[in-house]
Amino acid sequence: MQGSPVLEMRDISRRFGSTQALAGVSLRLYPGEVHALLGENGAGKSTLIKIMTGVHQPDSGQILLDGRPVRISSTLEAQRLGIAAIYQEPLMYPDLNVAENIFIAHAGRGPLVNWGKMYREAEAILAQLDVRLDVRQPARGLSVAAQQTVEIAKALSLQVRVLIMDEPTAALSAHEVEQLFAIVRRLRAQGVAILFISHRLEEVFEIADRITVFRDGRLISSAPRADVTVEQAIRDMAGRSVEQLFPRRHTVRDETLVQVRDLGRQGAFHGVSFDVRAGEVLGFAGLVGARRTDVGLALFGIAPADRGTITIAGQPVRIAHPRQAMRHGIAYVSEDRRGLGLSLPMSIAANITLPTLRRYLNPLGLLRRPAEMATAEEFRRRLAIRAPSVEVEVGKLSGGNQQKVMLSKWLNTRPRLLILDEPTRGIDVGAKAEVHQMIDDLAAEGIAIILISSDLPEVLAMSDRVLVMREGRQMAIFDRHEATQERVLAAAMGQRDAA
Amino acid sequence: MKAKLRRLLSWEGLLLAILALVVVVNANLAPAYLSLNNQINLFQLSIEKIIVALVMAFIIINGEIDLSVASVMGLAACIVAVLFDRGVPMEVAIVAALLAGALCGAFNGFWVAYIGLPSLAVTLAGMIGFRGVARILIEDRSISGFPAWFTALGQQPLIGPFPFSLILFALLFTLALIVLQYSGVGRLVYVIGHNAAVARYSGIDVPRLKLGLFIASGFVAALAGVLLAARLGAVRGNTADGFELDIITMVLLGGVSIFGGTGNLAGVGLSILVILNLRNGMSLLNVTGNVQTGVVGMLLILSVLLPNLAQMARERWQRRAVQRKEVQAGVETSVSS
Amino acid sequence: MHTWRQRIRPEQIRELSLIGLIVIALLIFGWQIENFLSARTFNRITSSVAIVGMVAIGQTLVVLTRNIDLSVGSIVGFTAYFVGSQLAANPGLPPVMAVVLAVLTGGTLGLVNGLIVAYGRVPAIITTLGTLAIYRMLLINYANARTITVDSLPSWVVELSRQTLFAIGDFAVRPLFAITIVAVIGFQFVLAYTVFGRRLYAIGSNPEAARFAGLPAQRTVLAAFVLCGMLAGMAGFLFLARFGNITAVAGQGIELESVAAVVVGGVNTFGGSGTVLGALLGAFLIDLLGQGLLRWLGISEFWRDALLGLLILLAVASDSVILGWLRRVWAAPALRAEVSNEG
Repeated sequence: MQGSPVLEMRDISRRFGSTQALAGVSLRLYPGEVHALLGENGAGKSTLIKIMTGVHQPDSGQILLDGRPVRISSTLEAQRLGIAAIYQEPLMYPDLNVAENIFIAHAGRGPLVNWGKMYREAEAILAQLDVRLDVRQPARGLSVAAQQTVEIAKALSLQVRVLIMDEPTAALSAHEVEQLFAIVRRLRAQGVAILFISHRLEEVFEIADRITVFRDGRLISSAPRADVTVEQAIRDMAGRSVEQLFPRRHTVRDETLVQVRDLGRQGAFHGVSFDVRAGEVLGFAGLVGARRTDVGLALFGIAPADRGTITIAGQPVRIAHPRQAMRHGIAYVSEDRRGLGLSLPMSIAANITLPTLRRYLNPLGLLRRPAEMATAEEFRRRLAIRAPSVEVEVGKLSGGNQQKVMLSKWLNTRPRLLILDEPTRGIDVGAKAEVHQMIDDLAAEGIAIILISSDLPEVLAMSDRVLVMREGRQMAIFDRHEATQERVLAAAMGQRDAA
Repeated sequence: MKAKLRRLLSWEGLLLAILALVVVVNANLAPAYLSLNNQINLFQLSIEKIIVALVMAFIIINGEIDLSVASVMGLAACIVAVLFDRGVPMEVAIVAALLAGALCGAFNGFWVAYIGLPSLAVTLAGMIGFRGVARILIEDRSISGFPAWFTALGQQPLIGPFPFSLILFALLFTLALIVLQYSGVGRLVYVIGHNAAVARYSGIDVPRLKLGLFIASGFVAALAGVLLAARLGAVRGNTADGFELDIITMVLLGGVSIFGGTGNLAGVGLSILVILNLRNGMSLLNVTGNVQTGVVGMLLILSVLLPNLAQMARERWQRRAVQRKEVQAGVETSVSS
Repeated sequence: MHTWRQRIRPEQIRELSLIGLIVIALLIFGWQIENFLSARTFNRITSSVAIVGMVAIGQTLVVLTRNIDLSVGSIVGFTAYFVGSQLAANPGLPPVMAVVLAVLTGGTLGLVNGLIVAYGRVPAIITTLGTLAIYRMLLINYANARTITVDSLPSWVVELSRQTLFAIGDFAVRPLFAITIVAVIGFQFVLAYTVFGRRLYAIGSNPEAARFAGLPAQRTVLAAFVLCGMLAGMAGFLFLARFGNITAVAGQGIELESVAAVVVGGVNTFGGSGTVLGALLGAFLIDLLGQGLLRWLGISEFWRDALLGLLILLAVASDSVILGWLRRVWAAPALRAEVSNEG
């Protein structure tokens, strides 16, 4: 293609305990090329990145920079060699300002800080990216997109030659993604080799020059974009052909369970009105920043609404605390499994019974272990949680199984309204299908479900109706048969009626 | 789970080994050491601290810290003494002191749980402030001459050879053990200590539990302060000054992580035994109190430092093994090329 | 583009508000208390702030990195006693050597703390709670119940606390206070304009990012503890000069006073923000309020600690509540600007 590669990974293997994370993988990155890396979770992408940036050392294989073998022993060494990585959640110093965040890692600028020079250089770099950002502003409070821009500026300031972008768009709005891509194109034109990792296929096909697919620690395919189709890429990732849209049963009942009118919370969202009926799945679509999660949190009482009304089964209710929400039969399954959803060092059983702990106490307040175990075992069977026992630490489970534990935990509260926030984010294809099956089953049992998801095909396939939000406002509600990708996206991007 | 169990076992095993060593050395140095009287005495001399250490374990596992306990002990002792001095019946004075302790705890707990301030800062303020209130009350006097029944609480055997305070400790330890390891509250203490947000998102009233723990801490510290007044028979402004070091050491040496979420009372119980026996042994050797405190401080640091160093050595050894493999691999490729 | 809103950040308002509080307190006390604004009050406050302020500089460095040093009281005591005994034994020791000795002694003790925290990965609160007791034990063994007395010291030491370096009207600036002011200015510069200083902020602001970015976090934390020890050693020398009579309990409680100064001075206990100037102002405000309130309300010395505790609590509370509010006020227009850019 274009001469010799900057960075070549040759026959790299790495093992963690009994898991072969990478098995003889080879990869070449060329200057001025955007190289996309696709693969399910656990395919070995992160391990490869960590080896490139010196976090891990390979068990075997060679790394060549400009054709010469190198050893990348640390992040600092990687930086010195011109290899930098940008992550989904950038690691910022919130108390330092933008310019300092760009230059803090620079060695050899002398022991003194020349603020004037630093501000000028930071402004110059940001101008080069065509970004307007106050360099004196503390990083605290910057949007994720702005933080990523700062990280890119940092990489540029280090004369980066290989830039690794790990899921950089996961938390960005569509507009921000466009801006990021503009920057990526500019870097490409400057001759930077870019390794781009994303779960969003549309984006990969938009930006990449070459697409490589990993599965189970092996390289499955690698070809120029023009020679790859979406279907082919998905087949390579999954190892089987694409499953068709999930066949939902029609289970909506007549009784309206929840009625929300003009709900709002200062600074988050306003004017949200909808009904959910028993057995109905109401999808919440929107781009990141649409504030869908905030509506969920208001219904669950974590961040209560400050205007509007909520009526449950005909009774107006006030929800100021999760306990009140739970009393009304509302359950909220968080999008952040590890940070908000599960207590990782606790057992499966302890996690499942956490919201309903009172049911498992005897009159003295002591735990009734047999009852607790029985419940946990029942859910393990019902949701097919793959674990040797319910005493296993939740932190040791795979993402899909953790998701099932979280679902069990909330199903055990016997909810009437189940709010699922990104229930399939970061779990593998198999587990995803199981979660979809479960949503259908629960709706069939008469539970009302609010499904918040950024995966548009998922929302469309699973929902009876789709509510679209944008920047804290409700844009539209579509019936299942009206809800097409185009209409939902148009509404999410601010066009009132695209139909 | 198994790995964790193994680590815990080895932690408690280590404590047990240290305890055995201390006991053997002490027994060789002083024949009287193993006598029942000395063993009871050894407990009695620190009974107030170890009672407070039990609640401190809850607080630290919950991810907080209470630096103000020693000051609350001092304040409670001063309240009892000053009220008694002014002619208030002793029973009323004790109740007032206990209530004041609970109030101090509620004060700490309010700022930590409902305003969200760091407990380190709040209880540091409490540590200085509550001691200050004690000083306002008692100024530079020393109050003594309490009724006989009161001083007997701390000293005289109640059942068999065991004094009231020791029996109280045994009861409290059992209670704490049951609550922490077998009750719903105990479960929540761990969950919140590891990640309070998870608890909040599970509908648990986190502030209420934290407030409850701080109130318990204040109440128990006050109880310990009253017992201390009873045992010493005299109260001054600096009563129980500096006790927080020993109390926190007992908990941390017991394998409770300062970052919350892990640890158990078996470890804390063992570490209490280690510290008490160590101090007792040193007393038998006529080592002064300050040196004893220094040794306890050293033990505190070593209890965290040594496992860390062992861990680091293990990591380094593993890395070297990997490097050796790499070198061998390099040799092979160069031979083959 | 560079409006005042961008130049002046909520973080900087802290020092301004401290100065404001100090001025208000001075006005009120000066109005209510006879002879409050006198050379005597000034002298009393500056002498005590000289010592606590010096320790608070070091405490600031350590707290910025998201650590804490509770052993400084023992370091002050140990150094004061050690240097005092050396001076008593060798009266001919030149003043510079005495200062160097104090700084080195403190630095060594700080080095021990730093090694255990940075390289032994023991949490700072555990380490320094331990060394607080250990250093005091060393001092008590070393002192062996003897006391250093004024008479045994060379006269220049004691003179330091009485001399007038220069005077503005009746207000005399003593050498001890001047030394501390110079140190504050120096470290204010170090924190604002050196790579080392900025690294302290970076590490405290996000330790994980610092480690990941390959900043020499361990070395920097070690250096913070060593400097803290050296400054506490210097404070030990000032302590010796001010009091002359040194016993084995010297310096007890200074660790709390320094933490109080730092907290009241607006240094974030979770690291990453704050300045040594703020810490000095904090120490000043605490002492001023202590002196003023006691005389104004006519209450006894015994109220001092209770007031101090309350003050710390108020400082932490206002820092958390008010600063959070200020940040929201500041962020609102910025956010609007961002949104309008998008639209």
